[in-house]
Amino acid sequence: MNSQVHGAVRFDGVRKNYGSVTAVKNLDLTIESGQLVTLLGPSGCGKTTTLRMIAGLESVSGGQIHIGGKDVTHLSATYRNVSMVFQSYALFPHMTVIENVAYGLKVKSVPKKEAHAKAEHVLTLVGLAGFGARLPSELSGGQQQRVAVARAVVLEPEVLLLDEPLSNLDAKLRRHVREEIRQIQQDLGLTAVYVTHDQEEAMAVSDRIVVMKNAEIAQEGSPVDLYEHPNSAFIADFIGDANLVQCGITKTNGEFAEVEAAKRRMQIRNPLGCEALANMVIRPQDIVLSKPDRNPGFSGTVTYAAYLGSQIQYTVDSELGELFVVGGATPQPFTKGDVVGIQFDFEKVRLVG
Amino acid sequence: MARTLGIWLIVGLVGACLVPWYLTNGGLLSLNWIGGSGTPENNPILLLALIHGKLWLLPVVAGFPIIATLLVLRITPAKRAKLISIIALSVLVYVAVQGFLVVRNGPVLLNDVFHVLGAEDGQAGLGIGALLVVLSYLFILTTAISMSGNARGDAFVIGLIGLIIALVAVFVFFPISQILLQSLKTDAGGYSVTGFLKRFFSGEVWRLDCLNGGTCGPAINSIFLGVLTGAGTTTLGLSFALIFTRTQFKAKKLLRVLTIIPIITPPFVIGLALILLFGRSGTVTTFWADLMDMQATRWLYGFWGVYMAQLLSFTPIAFLVLIGVVEGVSPSMEEASQTLNANKWQTFRHVSFPLMRPGLANAFLLGFLESLADFGNPLVLGGNFNVLSTEIFFAIIGTVADPAKAAIMSIALLTLALSAFVAQRMWLGKKSYATVTGKADSGQHASLSPKLKLACYLTALPWALFTAIVYSMIVFGSFVTLWGYDHSFTFKHYLQAFAIDFSNGIRWKGVAWDSYFTTLTISSVAAPLTAILGLATAYLLVRQKFAGKNVFEFSTMMCFAIPGTVIGVSYVMAFNFPPIEITGTSIILIVMFMFRNMPVGVRGGIAAMSQLDKSLDEASITLGANSFTTIKRVILPLLGPAILAALAYSFVRAITSVSAVIFLVSAKHNMATSFIVGRVEAGDYGLSIAYSAVLILTMLLAILLLQALIGARRLRRDNRVR
Amino acid sequence: MKMSIARGVMVLLAGLPAGQALSDELSVVCSNDERWCHLMASEFEAETGIDVAMVRKSTGETLAQVRAEAGNPKIDVWWGGTGDPHLIAASEGLSQPSEADTSELLGWAVNMADISEGRAIGVHAGALGISFNFDLLKEKGIEPPSCWRDLADSRFLGEIQVANPNSSGTAYTQLATLVQVFGEDEAFELLKQIGKNVNSYTKSGSAPNKAAARGETGVAVGFMHDMVTQKKAGFPLEIVSPCEGTGYEVGAVSIITGTRNLDAAKKWVEFVLRADAQSRAPEVEVYNVPSNKGATLDPQTPSLGSVKLIDYDFATYGAVDTRKRLLSRWDAEVKPSSN
Repeated sequence: MNSQVHGAVRFDGVRKNYGSVTAVKNLDLTIESGQLVTLLGPSGCGKTTTLRMIAGLESVSGGQIHIGGKDVTHLSATYRNVSMVFQSYALFPHMTVIENVAYGLKVKSVPKKEAHAKAEHVLTLVGLAGFGARLPSELSGGQQQRVAVARAVVLEPEVLLLDEPLSNLDAKLRRHVREEIRQIQQDLGLTAVYVTHDQEEAMAVSDRIVVMKNAEIAQEGSPVDLYEHPNSAFIADFIGDANLVQCGITKTNGEFAEVEAAKRRMQIRNPLGCEALANMVIRPQDIVLSKPDRNPGFSGTVTYAAYLGSQIQYTVDSELGELFVVGGATPQPFTKGDVVGIQFDFEKVRLVG
Repeated sequence: MARTLGIWLIVGLVGACLVPWYLTNGGLLSLNWIGGSGTPENNPILLLALIHGKLWLLPVVAGFPIIATLLVLRITPAKRAKLISIIALSVLVYVAVQGFLVVRNGPVLLNDVFHVLGAEDGQAGLGIGALLVVLSYLFILTTAISMSGNARGDAFVIGLIGLIIALVAVFVFFPISQILLQSLKTDAGGYSVTGFLKRFFSGEVWRLDCLNGGTCGPAINSIFLGVLTGAGTTTLGLSFALIFTRTQFKAKKLLRVLTIIPIITPPFVIGLALILLFGRSGTVTTFWADLMDMQATRWLYGFWGVYMAQLLSFTPIAFLVLIGVVEGVSPSMEEASQTLNANKWQTFRHVSFPLMRPGLANAFLLGFLESLADFGNPLVLGGNFNVLSTEIFFAIIGTVADPAKAAIMSIALLTLALSAFVAQRMWLGKKSYATVTGKADSGQHASLSPKLKLACYLTALPWALFTAIVYSMIVFGSFVTLWGYDHSFTFKHYLQAFAIDFSNGIRWKGVAWDSYFTTLTISSVAAPLTAILGLATAYLLVRQKFAGKNVFEFSTMMCFAIPGTVIGVSYVMAFNFPPIEITGTSIILIVMFMFRNMPVGVRGGIAAMSQLDKSLDEASITLGANSFTTIKRVILPLLGPAILAALAYSFVRAITSVSAVIFLVSAKHNMATSFIVGRVEAGDYGLSIAYSAVLILTMLLAILLLQALIGARRLRRDNRVR
Repeated sequence: MKMSIARGVMVLLAGLPAGQALSDELSVVCSNDERWCHLMASEFEAETGIDVAMVRKSTGETLAQVRAEAGNPKIDVWWGGTGDPHLIAASEGLSQPSEADTSELLGWAVNMADISEGRAIGVHAGALGISFNFDLLKEKGIEPPSCWRDLADSRFLGEIQVANPNSSGTAYTQLATLVQVFGEDEAFELLKQIGKNVNSYTKSGSAPNKAAARGETGVAVGFMHDMVTQKKAGFPLEIVSPCEGTGYEVGAVSIITGTRNLDAAKKWVEFVLRADAQSRAPEVEVYNVPSNKGATLDPQTPSLGSVKLIDYDFATYGAVDTRKRLLSRWDAEVKPSSN
């Protein structure tokens, strides 16, 4: 616990209610200095509320929030050393780009010359040198987004908050900008909290991911942890794609369990110690389809096939239920109606509750 | 935070130690007490309490050292904040209580106690020192509350809430309570609730005899007139709004002018013009009578005349409300409807019109309220048709003054207005029309179906023509010797009112100059204050969450529903005596205008601020700006049109209002409308109309000037980032 | 930016004369014609050097204000308008004796001072009369009225306009006059019959006369001096002095109790009672009869000598009780009979 360090954020039993609705339930969370932590979850899970509580834009119904070791629970947003990048960017439409970026410095009474020099520097950092005199409305969506980031980082905040910063960009730009954001965060050594509902985005930028569900933390860890060691069917499904196949556990055996599905018994890793009923997590790329007669195994029928260039996606109706399968591009892909054999490596399959 | 407290502590100490506590001879802001500290009246409260033996004032001063001590004492911040707020609140309550207990002639209660405390001589009205001390305690209180951790910690926002609540309490609820008290008074001098109920529900007010040939009570007449005026102005306003937004009508500019001018017309003028057109000897009536070989009648005097005048006067208000609403209906909704194979009429009937309903309700409510409060038109054209507003006026100034009757009628009027207001709120509360977001929408508004277009033209254009005729009559009337009889051209009315003698330096010779200058000064002071108050309230309502917000909103809207006559009388009753003694000054006029016109600023501000994305404020706040800086740097620059509207409206209303003004003008501060009423009473129509024409011109110039000042800023709302 | 706005507001506020009347300034409420008010104020200023702050208000509004401000008046002197509200103010102790010399005044003015114990002194008088629109009656072939009783004749159906005595002092004077001429019961009977011909009971006392001038009504009842003003303005108005005799009003001047400028107020009272000051009224088209014996009259002024005046009993009919009784009887009997 090094929450005394500059930029570290700590939640102690934080609650937030709106009337009878609970937005955040008893949250304990530590965000370490210099890390980019993502709050991930479906809409309504409380991630944005959590972010806004760090900013001071939402009051806290109970518990404490510390930033850099200081209790900021009742400190208003103005006096917290955090900045935020908004989903809508919230660029001031009546100010030029440079005025927007220098705004935070100006209200802190930094001399105008110095403020503009700093702003200019940060604009260069985000690749917008020379755009200072424009109005936000004269920029493209991606450029506006970068101005929003520049405006937030110019203050060198203890914590940088990003609320779905990429949701208004198209897919290609999104990947590009998220790399830039990650780059800037690492270059400046900023602590950053990032909210998104897109798991791919979360995996791509984060040091750690906090997955939230129903106003609570469902699981937190590094992207690899979450993908490799999901603690629930929800996480397994939410982080990356997964086929969840219900099965009965007939015998547990230390790290392994013997399960039965579609009248066949298998030895599957059981890190959570599930008993009785469980779900097998089978990643789509771990399944191999073949001609039906080739190997003993499960079989099924292709109900849908989509050619995506680098890969082919199949939906297969099988003894294990409906399976989503991603296969490499082959010269002779299966088509709808083909009967196929289904193999997967039991080693890569996990059991979750 | 401690710094803020320190600053207010210093302000309070200045108020307590250096400037006179009481109102001095020269008035609230006069400086003539300097050097005259010999008389007790000119002394600051500290000296009054310590040297002049006015011991009962001591607690007011004592709060400061206690608060200062608490500031340096080593206790937890939360406890400190709590203790400071308790002390500040207690002193504020004490100031108010002692103000009512010790009046000019001495204490009214607890004689013995106050005698010992040196209050036997009574006291004068509160002055500049008291103002500073009270403000100091008020802001110490709000800052302390913001420090206590119960609120979200913004001293500015809580200070603003505290200030507005205090102002509304003093300048809305206190005077209204005086009226309520008056209504409970009996002839014998006591107070009686049953007596009040009996009079309130009597036929004197609510008679329904007109259903079978008699005359109805004024309350029934007011309701009847109000409903029809609300419906009429809403229909006309909607027709105009549709013509503006959904047709290619050629002379839109001219139409726009015609829909604006009635707002800036002083009262009585429209009534006079109607008499000259439709009166028994009016141009139109005689022409018609000759044509049809009928007797010319006096049909104008009564319901129809008042109704016509109100339609002319209030349609612009409905139009201004509805044009925003009609524009706000998202074009993509209409396009969606059309792609679903609905024709233009069906689209309007089933999509656009239902989406406009909240706006229509709003326009109707405004028309209804304006009609209830209207005083000038029923006075000139009412004949035997009595409405509440004029009945109240004559209950006060009639041959047998009956303030209790006036108070009871006022309560009836207040009840009607507030019920309409509440009914509208409840109706709107259940429906969601979230599509009207104000977001940029790139679609095209559907044009009107031919039949609907015709209907709009047929309602709106005759009305526009009518307005044009009425106004040309007014201009004409100001340039002829004797309107209606001797139509030889003359400048004499203008000269009589606005002559300037240059022979010996500049001498403002015309009879109107005095009231003209007073009106301009007071209006231009009142307008920005009104706009600030209105927009600040709107900001709190839209952007801040706090307990009791609904009550807060309701009370700020109340002044709008209270007719001017009632306000005028209640202000005289409330502010003619210590503790607050401001009758006969310009301050009372300014304050009255502020609270009467604030609701429109609030409404406009709410509408405009709801269209500004909230993340803009939040961005500013998280970038380290406080609420005040955010308002100044971000919200205000983006609110240009709303500010313009609030300023223009309050300026215009301050110039054209009459009913409240009549009671509050004084020898030194006479207003243009009250002057004009006097001229109308004396039958001097030429001068009245010439003066009105000059006022109209002045207001037009002022609005253009405002537009140039505010509109020139870079305000590209269409460029707003999404 | 913010600072400059704040400073601007401060400058504006500072520039406002926000205070109450200074001690060397006299606050006068004038219930006469605006221009007459204006003229006398500037003459008084020129003569005495005392600044006058003057506002014009009707007697009803003024009485309401004086009542509301009782104990702490903002008004020093109340000048002009019908005498009854002055008498009410006097009887309620709202005005105080001015101790002015009344020896040069006409009898009715002195009488007023006697009734009010010196608190209200008569400054001018005006007789009630009937006016008719000459053109309109001629066109309709209606014989003009010459007596009060004529007004009850059916030929004037819908042609008569009078004010409502509840709101208008003029109309109350008319009511009291008829009661004194005919006796109370007969007067109300007559009023009921006249009521059938009345097209509108206006709120303001001067409205019927203006309506007659413009041909909005055929016949009106009001004060003769108002009728002269309209006639001189060029309207086809004829003035009738009723054959049964008529009542009159006495305009008064009162000093408000508790004034802070008693000396200046007394000077004002002396000034408006002086012959030379009163003689100037016709300059501004004011045609009522001045109260000073020495004041000169405009030839147009309907001199009270040529009018058959009744011996109007101000003490009785100015009293609040009488008023209330007559008005409630009017409300009960006359108002319902109108159209």
